[in-house]
Amino acid sequence: MSERTAHTMLIDDLKPLRPIRVAVVGLGKMGVAHTTLLASIPDVELVGLSDHHAPLGRSVRGLGHRAPFFENPAKLIDKTRPEAVFICTQPDAHKALAEMALEAGAAIFVEKPLAHTLAEAEALAAAVERHGKPAACGYNLAFVPIFAAAHHALRAGVLGQVQQTRASMYLSQTFGPRKGWMYDPARSGGGVVTNVSSHLLFLLQWMLGTPVEARAEGSWFFGEVEDEVHAMMRLSSGAEIGFDSSWSVPGYPYSAVVIEFEGRNGKMLVSNDGLELDLATPSGEWPAGHSQLREADLPQPARFDVNGDSYYLQDAAFLHWATGGAEPPNTVAAALEVQRMIDAIYRSARDNSVTVPVKP
Amino acid sequence: MKRTPPETPKLLLGAESLLGFTRAPRDRLLQVTARFREPESLAVTFSKAIQLGADGVLASPSRVLGEALSELRHSVPVFALLPNVPEYVRDSSEHGLAGTAMKRVARAGLGARARLAWTGLTRAGGVLRSDFAALVPLLLELESTSFRSSELRGVVLAAAITDLALAGKHKSFFENTVRFVRRRFRASAAFQTHNLGHLLAALAEWGVKPDFVVGPINPRGLMMKPTPAAVEAELRRTEIPVLAKELRAGGAVSLVEGARYALEHGAKGLVPDLVDVEDLNAEFKELSQSLTPA
Repeated sequence: MSERTAHTMLIDDLKPLRPIRVAVVGLGKMGVAHTTLLASIPDVELVGLSDHHAPLGRSVRGLGHRAPFFENPAKLIDKTRPEAVFICTQPDAHKALAEMALEAGAAIFVEKPLAHTLAEAEALAAAVERHGKPAACGYNLAFVPIFAAAHHALRAGVLGQVQQTRASMYLSQTFGPRKGWMYDPARSGGGVVTNVSSHLLFLLQWMLGTPVEARAEGSWFFGEVEDEVHAMMRLSSGAEIGFDSSWSVPGYPYSAVVIEFEGRNGKMLVSNDGLELDLATPSGEWPAGHSQLREADLPQPARFDVNGDSYYLQDAAFLHWATGGAEPPNTVAAALEVQRMIDAIYRSARDNSVTVPVKP
Repeated sequence: MKRTPPETPKLLLGAESLLGFTRAPRDRLLQVTARFREPESLAVTFSKAIQLGADGVLASPSRVLGEALSELRHSVPVFALLPNVPEYVRDSSEHGLAGTAMKRVARAGLGARARLAWTGLTRAGGVLRSDFAALVPLLLELESTSFRSSELRGVVLAAAITDLALAGKHKSFFENTVRFVRRRFRASAAFQTHNLGHLLAALAEWGVKPDFVVGPINPRGLMMKPTPAAVEAELRRTEIPVLAKELRAGGAVSLVEGARYALEHGAKGLVPDLVDVEDLNAEFKELSQSLTPA
């Protein structure tokens, strides 16, 4: 293993262990992205596409993909017998489609968030448990090399016990009333936290574990879903996590994550730009004092770029798991923990920022 | 009449970072977007780049770009990077793809609408089938209205679009786009990609020859897909001129170092972006010299 690979533990040449038949349900932006990726991963046979809106099927086939299209997902599964199904619809449709695919014996990949409510997410996770099939959720930041490196360093204990964390995720997206399912809480489940910074909650959960309690305040500037949230969460160790997110701030044409960890042995700052460590004593491969890693210092093992390496690696890792390989970080079980964090943040924000437990 | 191929540009100043798309650190992006918020500042930089040996600018339509170009007394050769992908993505999340297209039709002038209607009618079958090969010419018609034909030297299809068609192995899309751009705009037809090794291999297999391709090449291998070694092998093999972008590997190397690597490994030209350039005078002089045959 090269020194660069050792920083992330991302697998080089990640792919399914054998040929696998895959279908995609939901052909909006993320459905198109996954279809593009699946066409580029070795040993993937794209056997079918589905969306209730037929023009979207024509659009994807118009890109050159030749897999048959079905308006009805049940027919897709019945006719094509996929071994893995990518569910890329809006969140309120995830559970029913996941159950349908699991019943047919397929592994499932569900776009994030897992569901639009905690109850639906729990039911979906219970179905996964019953069927015992590999099931992942689209929290792709685990596959961004720089965040994988941060996780690797934290889990190796370079900071010692983490005492305090501050995290933020910002995006310039919403500056007035907007239309579409994302802005309808009954379909999406919420605003910036559900649709954008659930990615950040996943990273925090992956790196630090699930908090035991949260208190939050939100701002609703333009409609029925929150546009900005500030939250404080507490881990069972007593360590606190500060969390800020907004999709209504200028200067962020693409989403930007920043996380600062303070531990007994030093500090770590990780963002989309890179990772910086300041250690009191050397730990593992990291020396005492200041160290820095940038994107270009790390392996970029994806074989096809769609908005960076992480989406390819995420899909390849799921299919690797679905064909008998190792479990990736973004399991449905982990996504359920994220949903519990989202739920606690929303309950507190709706109830005058009282401290609420994160449901176990 | 046989078409005379246009000369391949060797040095273009890229302005993609003004859309927010860059692998440079965020602080650098903010610095550059603040500096070029005023069109006058952008106009001066374009003008200087041309004086220092650049063959043109590679830029997507935007308000600030349009104002900058109209500031200049002498027109700057433009290689239009189409479409403006971030704007399209933002709009389509609210209006859907069809709604986004209609919004652009609504703001187009009468002449543009007439050309759009003609382009659509001549591809009616493909448009009805939602064939990308038929739809992209409509998109190019809509997005190119921001540029004067006198300044338009080339149309470069943005990587987000190129790579969608590449993944779908849509050979006729690439053939049709090259043919359409050359006939309609009488300009170079080129593709930008973030999957350079894959694209060069596919174009060779299909026998499709755009005027040039723009893709990431740098000494750290950042964004060189499928692997840096495979990209280098395709660069040795290809007959299509390749212009290198992402020369600084997200800020890990200097522009001159990145350019040297790209040219040594088969790139025929360079596209440093505004975020890559720290000292326009010094760096562009050096790049121009390195591109001039001894």
